[in-house]
Amino acid sequence: MSSTSAHDDEERPWFLAHHFDTVGQQVSAAKLGMWLFCCTEVLMFSGLFLAYFIIRTLYPEMVLGASEELNKTAGGVNTIVLLTSSFTMALGVRAAQTNNQKALERNLLITIACAFIFMIVKYFEYTAKIEHGLLPGNWYAAAEHGYMLPKYSRVFFGVYFTMTGLHGVHVLVGIGVLSWIFIRARRREFNSENYVAVENAGLYWHIVDLVWIFLFPLLYLVK
Amino acid sequence: MSLVYLNGKPVDHPHENHHHVSPVWQFTAVFAALVTLTILTYLVSYAGLGSASLPVAMAVAMVKASLVIAFFMHLFYEDRVYAFMFLSCFIFVAIFFTFVLFDMHTSAEMNEEAGIHYKRAVEDSAEQADTNRAFDAPAPAKAGH
Repeated sequence: MSSTSAHDDEERPWFLAHHFDTVGQQVSAAKLGMWLFCCTEVLMFSGLFLAYFIIRTLYPEMVLGASEELNKTAGGVNTIVLLTSSFTMALGVRAAQTNNQKALERNLLITIACAFIFMIVKYFEYTAKIEHGLLPGNWYAAAEHGYMLPKYSRVFFGVYFTMTGLHGVHVLVGIGVLSWIFIRARRREFNSENYVAVENAGLYWHIVDLVWIFLFPLLYLVK
Repeated sequence: MSLVYLNGKPVDHPHENHHHVSPVWQFTAVFAALVTLTILTYLVSYAGLGSASLPVAMAVAMVKASLVIAFFMHLFYEDRVYAFMFLSCFIFVAIFFTFVLFDMHTSAEMNEEAGIHYKRAVEDSAEQADTNRAFDAPAPAKAGH
């Protein structure tokens, strides 16, 4: 930009980093980076989804039999919890866009609370699996616990724990990111001109939801 | 005055920012649709659609994913460059899946011709032979004495 006069510098808002000319540039750069990160997330999880389809191709009956051991209702409740948190996250971004400070803080808090509920349900699911010896690889001990599952069921539980485990790590990271955004919101950093951080945290959270939308039917509801 | 570019396009008023703000009813409608589809897949899984259950579950999941991407992630209202970038990554996912699964489904015959056996297949048939022998062995012994 040619107009780097003192007059323009005075008009720079406090949140505009020195290496950007306009707020628009700063926002589109941040969004570009976040969408690229979303792409890498999709590509990373796609490898695990492909692993799932490969074991499904190799052992069709085993996958159907072993997945019967998963708690459909717990998975369904967690799906609703994540969808609710995505909904409140979208409302949170909207609240920042419309300068609604109260709604922004409230929606961020509900989103974080839903993330915790998700992890608590996940904890009970994992505990049940561990108690019944439904574990991957060498830890697989279903027969010792009186479970007659198809041969190679340990491979299914390997995929189950890897996929839901990586997704769970994303939920935990999401709790951290959203807490950070909540603290910044409490400091009243966000308004209708400066909310790209809320929006990008929201994009991350929606990706977490997106992965679960595919994980849930494939792992829990296959038949 | 030099031009200011945003997302590869020149902008006339670089210091003005226009945001699209979705109405609350739209988020609520999308949320209601997502919950309805979730309950639907949950109930359908008990009915059991046989071989159709996987394609149906995937189709419903894709509708849900599209709703989340378009409206919650706001991609529908963003500059097209983000949609181009994000959706093109699914082309690469499709290539990845197609080639690997195509290979999975077609290499069995070629392996057989070349005399290649998977270790698990060898172990499984050995185990099966052991089981058969265990069942067969007592029978002739009884008959003999």
